[in-house]
Amino acid sequence: MTTSGPRGGLAGRARAAAAFVLPLAALVVLWAVAVRTFDVDPRVFPGVGAVVKAGAEAIADGTLIQHIAASLGRVAFGTAIALLLGIPLGVAMGVSPAVASFFSPLLRFFSVLAGIAWIPIATLWFGYGFGAITFVIFNAVFFVVAYNTLLGVSSIPMPVRNAAASLGAGRFAMLTEVLLPGALPNIVTGVRTGLGFAWRGLIAAEMIATNVGLGYMLFAARDFYKTEVIVLGMVVIGLLWLALDRLLLAPLERLTSERWGMVRA
Amino acid sequence: MSTALPSVPVRPTAWQRVQRAWVRAVTAWPALRSILPFVPLLGAWWLTAAFEVFPKAFFPGPVDVARTFVDLVYKGILPEYLADSVGRLAAGAAVGIALAIPLGVLIGTSRRAHTALWPVLLFFQAVGDIAWLPILLVWFGFGLTTMTFVIVYTVLFPVVLNTVLGIRSVPTDLVRAARSLGASPARVVWEVLLPGALPNIMTGLRNGLGYGWRALIAAEIIVGTSGIGFLMFDARRAGSVVEIMLGMVVLGVLWYAVDAWILAPIERATGQRWGMVTRDR
Repeated sequence: MTTSGPRGGLAGRARAAAAFVLPLAALVVLWAVAVRTFDVDPRVFPGVGAVVKAGAEAIADGTLIQHIAASLGRVAFGTAIALLLGIPLGVAMGVSPAVASFFSPLLRFFSVLAGIAWIPIATLWFGYGFGAITFVIFNAVFFVVAYNTLLGVSSIPMPVRNAAASLGAGRFAMLTEVLLPGALPNIVTGVRTGLGFAWRGLIAAEMIATNVGLGYMLFAARDFYKTEVIVLGMVVIGLLWLALDRLLLAPLERLTSERWGMVRA
Repeated sequence: MSTALPSVPVRPTAWQRVQRAWVRAVTAWPALRSILPFVPLLGAWWLTAAFEVFPKAFFPGPVDVARTFVDLVYKGILPEYLADSVGRLAAGAAVGIALAIPLGVLIGTSRRAHTALWPVLLFFQAVGDIAWLPILLVWFGFGLTTMTFVIVYTVLFPVVLNTVLGIRSVPTDLVRAARSLGASPARVVWEVLLPGALPNIMTGLRNGLGYGWRALIAAEIIVGTSGIGFLMFDARRAGSVVEIMLGMVVLGVLWYAVDAWILAPIERATGQRWGMVTRDR
């Protein structure tokens, strides 16, 4: 079907932002009206005012920032290690078709198992806290990225590699100019998928295994029926992921795959 | 790089011969491809456990896990929990799909609905299933409703978003052609838009089930009355790593089989990701 009108330029971008924010604003109005007219018990669902107040309080006493910082820190740390290990390993496995076909079922097995399923054993191995949660994030990202890197490298046509080799590319040039650029779209897709699993794993793990972080904030509020804190946490989680995914990962994915002409827009 | 002239036969190295043997073996017996790689892994696991590199209580070997498997199957716990988990996933996914495809068609075909609902959809997808658990527990308590809600929610969004993408990727020419050949709007949806969107719908379904299955594990761990997730977390409370590992192996094998032998082939059969069914066939 047709897509929306022409874009580009500052005015176009502002209009796009407005088109994105307006429906959400309408939803907030709807929420406020619904809570008021049906006189909903705040222990079932909070009003807009209560959530805003809870947000202001949490910002004022620094707890919200603390929870966000803890969650994002864990994600950044676990993801960084996963990328540092996953990409080289994926490239190494993908270079030879025989090796790739040997390892891909293994990586696939572990990437379908990635994330939440590791929470019970991670908490036993590392105890409750930073170690267990970072481990869950690490393995959610690691296997998916390694698998996608392997797929990316092994999908590079052999003639391209042979051409580079016969033009005198050494091992290093082959790596930096053929293998990594060729696999980049897949690597970025892997990072996006892996982070999606990791983010959910993070929230689940924080509910179970820690005393700081957004997941903990939600789950602790449940004990006191503080629905306004729960909803605040949900909104924060949604906005953070939306920002991370739409402003960072999706443009990166579009950039890399358009650059190499994998996608027709 | 080895650039040998054809007239000078180069003896392949041992490593190259191993690779060639592997390629020959998997071409002869394709099943080997998905089974054999796990043999060295099992071996390494067995050796690590046998030499007690880690304390046995924290890292049991494959033999212990297999014994527990037989034991739990014999007691009937494992089959029952497995049936519970799969049943919940299937029921939740069915409801999710039944809601998602009509919604996707609506948002994909009506520009007004798209303007109004697309950002809302993206936001609620971003909130994520698991973040709903605390408030669902307040609303519905620890029970089946909570778990079903979480799975429906998880499956819904990837399917809706991908259905919309699929429908919007159907070339307008095709819709116009069908219309000018006298197709009613309902027929356009049924015979042009839905088939055109099918590859995307299947991709969405595969993603949704992947997420839904993870959400189910999380829900079973937190809500926990039965199911594989509950088995694992119950074992964690008792400190029984064997049962946790068994749970992970069962989950991994089950999902690997479903994904590799059912979902991936269906997705491939409905046309490659960028392919258009309506155009090719």
